[in-house]
Amino acid sequence: MIEFGPVHTVLKKEVSDNIRNKWIILLTIIFAFLTLAASVLAGGGSLGGLEETVTTLMSISMILIPLISIMLGYSTISGEDEDGSLAVLLSYPIKRGEVFIGKFLGLGIVIALATAVGFGVSGIVIGLSKSATPWGSYAAFISLSVLLGLLYLSVSMCFSALFKRRVASLGAGILLFFWSTIYGTVLMGIYFATGGSMSDFTSANPTIPDWIWQSIYFSPMDMNQTASMLVFNIERAFGFAIEVPSFVDLASIIGAHLVWIIVPLIIAYLAFERRDI
Amino acid sequence: MRTKRCENEVWKSNKESDLVTAPAALNAEAPVIEVMGLHKNYDKVKAVNDLTMSVRKGEIYGFLGPNGAGKSTTIKTIMALTHPTSGVIKVHNTPVSTKTVDIHKDIGYLPEKISFYRNLTPVQTLTFLCELKGADPVVVDQLLEDVGLGDVSDRKVGTFSKGMVQLLGVAQAMIGDPSLYILDEPMGGLDARWVRIVRDKIRELNERGATIVFSSHILSEVQMLCDRVGIINKGALVAEDTIDNLSDHLELRPRLEVTITGLDGAVPDGIDAIEGVWNADAEGDKLTVSCDASSRIQVLVALERRGLTIKNFKTLDPTLEDAFVELISDHGGEQ
Repeated sequence: MIEFGPVHTVLKKEVSDNIRNKWIILLTIIFAFLTLAASVLAGGGSLGGLEETVTTLMSISMILIPLISIMLGYSTISGEDEDGSLAVLLSYPIKRGEVFIGKFLGLGIVIALATAVGFGVSGIVIGLSKSATPWGSYAAFISLSVLLGLLYLSVSMCFSALFKRRVASLGAGILLFFWSTIYGTVLMGIYFATGGSMSDFTSANPTIPDWIWQSIYFSPMDMNQTASMLVFNIERAFGFAIEVPSFVDLASIIGAHLVWIIVPLIIAYLAFERRDI
Repeated sequence: MRTKRCENEVWKSNKESDLVTAPAALNAEAPVIEVMGLHKNYDKVKAVNDLTMSVRKGEIYGFLGPNGAGKSTTIKTIMALTHPTSGVIKVHNTPVSTKTVDIHKDIGYLPEKISFYRNLTPVQTLTFLCELKGADPVVVDQLLEDVGLGDVSDRKVGTFSKGMVQLLGVAQAMIGDPSLYILDEPMGGLDARWVRIVRDKIRELNERGATIVFSSHILSEVQMLCDRVGIINKGALVAEDTIDNLSDHLELRPRLEVTITGLDGAVPDGIDAIEGVWNADAEGDKLTVSCDASSRIQVLVALERRGLTIKNFKTLDPTLEDAFVELISDHGGEQ
């Protein structure tokens, strides 16, 4: 069974490492700065409201959060194996599952803290300068961003456990990122190739087929963005009117996030357990 | 050379008889480490091929073999870092697996390829590892002092030389004062001064009662330190015994080397007929006679009688290197 003691020791080390090397501070500042920049951009020179800020911020955070998570996670197992530090660690009375969970939770806390504090502090500044601020929606947006970070962390750590070499797990991480960013384009390509047209989106009464909506669960970035739009009731993005159909609801998207986090963790655990160090 | 504690032969071919004839005082307890029929294949390569060995309580066991013989793979399977293809390994009578990591509480391990987190100081590193092993971190400063890293305790490990990292590796192995040490090439990459620190440490730990297994290809180190050696070649154990017994079994004799002015490569008549002399060879002014220790003086007297001028002489005891070369060469390896 997994014991808390060793998990806590590894978790604590991962967090204090990232405090010590100032990563966590740098990330927090980047997130805070981006939020303010997005707000000024949305407000046309002065601070815009939180809803407009989030619409603008999303296009950057959807790229940045996955990148940071992949960077933190891709070499956790393969990198330490190659260096030789994993052999030392596993010669101690700690199980492989405990090492993995400790690292996931530790790095997860780093991502969650940087995201929550960075977005949060700027959000409070922006929100207080406006009246009728949708605090609840903004808090939900932060939670969704944390969830997105954990998702990419889980998948990239899974790569680190699956591949023998650091460079291979980095390659897989880059592919995952690339896949996430081109997913929408690929979908549209398929749609247009099968008789769809751009006017389906731009017309006053857009008719996006159900299967496109259903397939967003395969693309973490798209489903996360959709969830953020749902919590703010955003109906226009990048000039297009978007009406999310009722079968794509917040609960199912959060459920999909959890599946995306848990399944890679299980695969990673099984691979790590079998690994020859 | 150290006094050898164990005098019985343990040859791969007659292991069963060894178990029967072994002195009761030494073998009353189960071996600390038991490896039985270990196989490890990487794709098509047989890294370890039916290896059986055992390490007894309180001994220093030298694990010897040429590069690529399977030493590290065997050690890593004992530490449950690598999964065996087949075979059983027991440590303190507990079968080893990735689930039985509790036995690691009592093992100090030094991997062959060692590395620590570059951004931590040695103090932070050892404190983290103490916590994992459930040991009080007050020992950290003393451990660093012990291996000669006391004055760099607040530098980052990333700035350390290879040798310093290795010493930190020795220090971490001592956390929790384990009763069993498994050291993979502990002298590898160290300069003479540091080799000495490690050698003295191994002796000291053993004198305090710890069982120590270490692998090496530096034969003189093994000869100096070990009670018993296991010699591995091509993934299988070819011999496991005291160095003295290995020499006996392989008929390695002490040699007498005599420098004689004007010898000119000719073995003087009758030298190889002296009782106790096995063989005599001459090369230039150097005459090498393999003989029992008791026959040395007769050889020298015989040379004097023949009117030869003995310029110098020295005796050479059989070395582990002789045994090693004999065993891993094809004819010697046959059992």
